[in-house]
Parts: sequence; structure tokens; C-alpha cells
Amino acid sequence: MLELKGLSVAYGSFTAIESIDVLVQKGEIVVLLGSNGAGKSTTFKAISGLEKPRQGEILFEGKSIGGRSPGRIVESGIVQCAEGRKLFPKMSVSENLIMGAYVHRKNKKAIKHSIKHVYELFPILYEKKENAAGSLSGGQQQMLAIGRALMAKPKLMLLDEPSIGLAPLIVEQMFEVIQQINEEGTTILLAEQNANAALGIASKGYVFESGSIVVQGTSEELLSDDSVRKAYIGA
Amino acid sequence: MDILSQQLFNGLTIGSVYSLVALGLTLVYGILHIPNFAHGAMYMLGAYVTLTMMLLWGIHYWLAMAVSVLVVGLLSVLMERLVFHPLRNAPPIHDKIAAIGILLFLEALAQLIWGADYRSMGTPYGEVINLFGLTVTMQRVLINVGAVVVMLLLYLFLKKTMVGSTIIAMAQNREGAHLVGINTNKVAMLTFLISGGLAAIAASLAAPINLVFPGMGHLVILKAFVIIILGGMGSIPGAILGGYILGFSESLGATYLSNDYKDIIAFLLLVIILSFRPKGLFAREGF
Repeated sequence: MLELKGLSVAYGSFTAIESIDVLVQKGEIVVLLGSNGAGKSTTFKAISGLEKPRQGEILFEGKSIGGRSPGRIVESGIVQCAEGRKLFPKMSVSENLIMGAYVHRKNKKAIKHSIKHVYELFPILYEKKENAAGSLSGGQQQMLAIGRALMAKPKLMLLDEPSIGLAPLIVEQMFEVIQQINEEGTTILLAEQNANAALGIASKGYVFESGSIVVQGTSEELLSDDSVRKAYIGA
Repeated sequence: MDILSQQLFNGLTIGSVYSLVALGLTLVYGILHIPNFAHGAMYMLGAYVTLTMMLLWGIHYWLAMAVSVLVVGLLSVLMERLVFHPLRNAPPIHDKIAAIGILLFLEALAQLIWGADYRSMGTPYGEVINLFGLTVTMQRVLINVGAVVVMLLLYLFLKKTMVGSTIIAMAQNREGAHLVGINTNKVAMLTFLISGGLAAIAASLAAPINLVFPGMGHLVILKAFVIIILGGMGSIPGAILGGYILGFSESLGATYLSNDYKDIIAFLLLVIILSFRPKGLFAREGF
């Protein structure tokens, strides 16, 4: 479904990711592991069209999407739920969700239907639907960010560190919801530092280190790989 | 008492004009963080276009104003495309320099086309009426009503339409706007279109009670900056409230303090308010 072929992205003279290859099949959950600054977010930005690739190709459903505008990429079915959530802080929860469906703005009925679905996934958002997004707790904001991404009805959802800064119990819920979204038919590419939880729901993973992929394999392989265990699981 | 209420009405009138100009300025600042000094030139051009339409082709005042809104709005978009868009990744000081450059260029251009003379604009609404015991011209009533109608329309557009919401969304979180698929280039152009249109409306409404000349935008843009700093940079309610505060203090100051120094009041007010509320009356963070 999504294929990165020899993708490189640079900020000025600094090469953030160098010649990486990633393959995501339809229906999978794939995880990108790595510490801060390893290149996970840059990869996501390149896929979303926020950064232009310097080299290599980004193929989505067989078509090259490298260099397309962010808006066109959302329309083609890739939506990113970015690190830091990037919500509209002074808009209410429901307004944020409606903005999430921007690419479907002509179809009012579908928007209503999607909102209902998001409220079913996250009942707390329904309770807080009139509150400003900026007034929510961290976990609720993360739920809203995922909900807003869902409103665009993505075929592929990019989730950048959804567990960051959240209490363990909330993290567990978050991963359950991600699994549920995947079961409903959305392919998921997940960037995480929480390797244990992420590999628990993913089918395969890639480990990033200073801009390159150093290890890749199925979740079982990575969980039993000594270097991965040492670096990301702490056992 | 008579003088007081007359001056309050005058303050309301000046405030209406200031608010309209400041709104255009604050919209652009909120979205792109560009302090658009050239907005004063847009105001000046708005008055000239309306005046030219009326004198040259004898078009009716309202129609001339509509043409002016369109012309200045499109010029404003052109300015964004040709100047500010190419500078989007440059250090912020470049925007400021470019904006001042556009201001000087457009003023010189206006002087070349229309000459440096002070001109007055006629209005079909020159008659004097009695309003609750106040003697006012119809044009002044029109300025007040017109400004309120425009502000209401702008509010409804921003809050109730999807296109309007994209402007607010972009002001609150630019990257978030990208991520939901909003084309931020289009939003920037739309914002400049509205901003230019607002300047043209303000100028066309105010010109009949003032004079039209190439430098007419100077004091207005300086005061509009004072207003949006007072109101909190990028805040819409701040721009409206700030405009009226300034209008009232100027007209009252001119009557009870000194008419010669009325233009300094804006800047005194700025010093006083910023001493107590350094972030302005309304803190920013997107409208």
C-alpha cells in the first residue's frame, strides 16, 4: 500500500533521513522505533508532504506521491496524527472534528456519520464536545487528535508517538483503540519509543538510528533481538 | 452635555474606520505573522479608486465602492503572491522591509497617477439630519452602520462557513491546518483579499469626511498598529475594541485636552496600556 524507496530528506546541509526503505501492506500495523531525532517524524513529514524528499520515491497504492501538496495527500487517503497533536486550541472539540473532515466538506451526511463514530470510540469526547480543545487533558487531546485524523476517513493513518507524555493506563487504552481502528480497516503506520506496547499490536517494525534503518523484522523477531531489547525495552 | 454627546458620536465614527482598518491588519498578522505596513497604502488606494470611478465615469458611490473593494482586494492578493509568498522562508525582518517598500512604492505610484493634490470626495449622503438631538451628516451615520454591518458579516463568515473556519484554523495552528488537508496558500490569498477589501471599504466610507491624498494612509496605518498592539496582535475582538477605544479617546481628547495634539493620544494610550498589560488587552493565539 505504501512504499518508501531509498527516501532521503535533508534540512539544509543536515541529512535527517538517508536512503530508507519501508513497506506497509494493506491492513497492517507497522511500527517505526527509534529515539528522539532518529528520523521517524521526518519520515512522517515527508509522507504527508510537509517536507520535500531530496531523493527516492514515495509510492502510495502504486502511485508516486512525493512532492504533492499536503492537501492532495490527505485527499488521496493518508492522514497524519502528528506529535504534539497540532489541534486548534481555541476551537471546541466538535469544531476540531469537523475541521478534520475538511476534505469531505461537501458531504454533510458523511461528516455527521463520522462524528458519531468518533464519539463511540471516545465517549469522553462526546461529554466534552463544547469545550475548547486547549482545555482538555493530555490524554483527551491525544484522543481528539486521533479522532480528528479519523474524520478524514483515511486508508492509511500515520500516528506519531501517540503515547508520549501519557499515564500508563491511558497508554494502554490508546493502543487498544489503535488496534480497533486497524480492525475496522485502516492501515496504520506508528512511530513509537514505547517498543513493548507498540510491537504488541504491530505485525512488523523498523528500527531507526540517526537517520537510517538499522534493524527490521516481524514483531516477534524484533522482540527477541538482543540489541533491540537492550535499546528500547530495557531488559 | 451637547458637546459631549456630539464628541462621543464623532469618536464612534472615527473608531468605526479605525476598527475596519485594524481588522484587515490583524487578520493578516494572525495568519502569516506579517506586520503589513503596506496596508496603509491599500487604504489610500481604496479611496483613490472610489474617487476615480465617481469622477471619471460618474458611477454611483456604492458601485464605485464595490469596484474599489474588488480592485484593492486583488491588488492585495497580488502583493501576497509577488512579495510575501516568495519571502515565506526568509527571516521575519525581510517581510517588514518588503512591506515598507511596497508602501513607499504605492505612494509614489499614486502621486504619479493622481498628483499630490488634496482632493475631496463627494457623497450622495451629504444632508444634515437630526439624530436623537444630535446634528449629524448622513455620511457619518453611514460610516457607523456600514462598519457594524461589515463586522457582523465578517464574524458570520469566519464562524459559520467552512471557508471562514479555515482562516481561523490556520491562525490557531498552521501545521494542524496542513494535516487536515487545508491548502494554506489559498487561505493566505483569501486573507489578503479580505484584508484589502476591508481597507477599501474603510477608506471609501471615510473619504467624504476627510481628504484624499497620497499620504493619507500614514497616520491611519500607524494608529492601526497601535490598535492591534493594544488589542493583542492577531486578535479580532481586540482590533474592534481597540479601534473604538482609540476613536473615543481621540475625539474626547481633541475637545477637552488639545485639538493640536490629538494624534499623539494613540501613542500615549499605547504606552499606558502596555505598562499594565504587556500582552495587550486580549492575549493572542489565534482570534
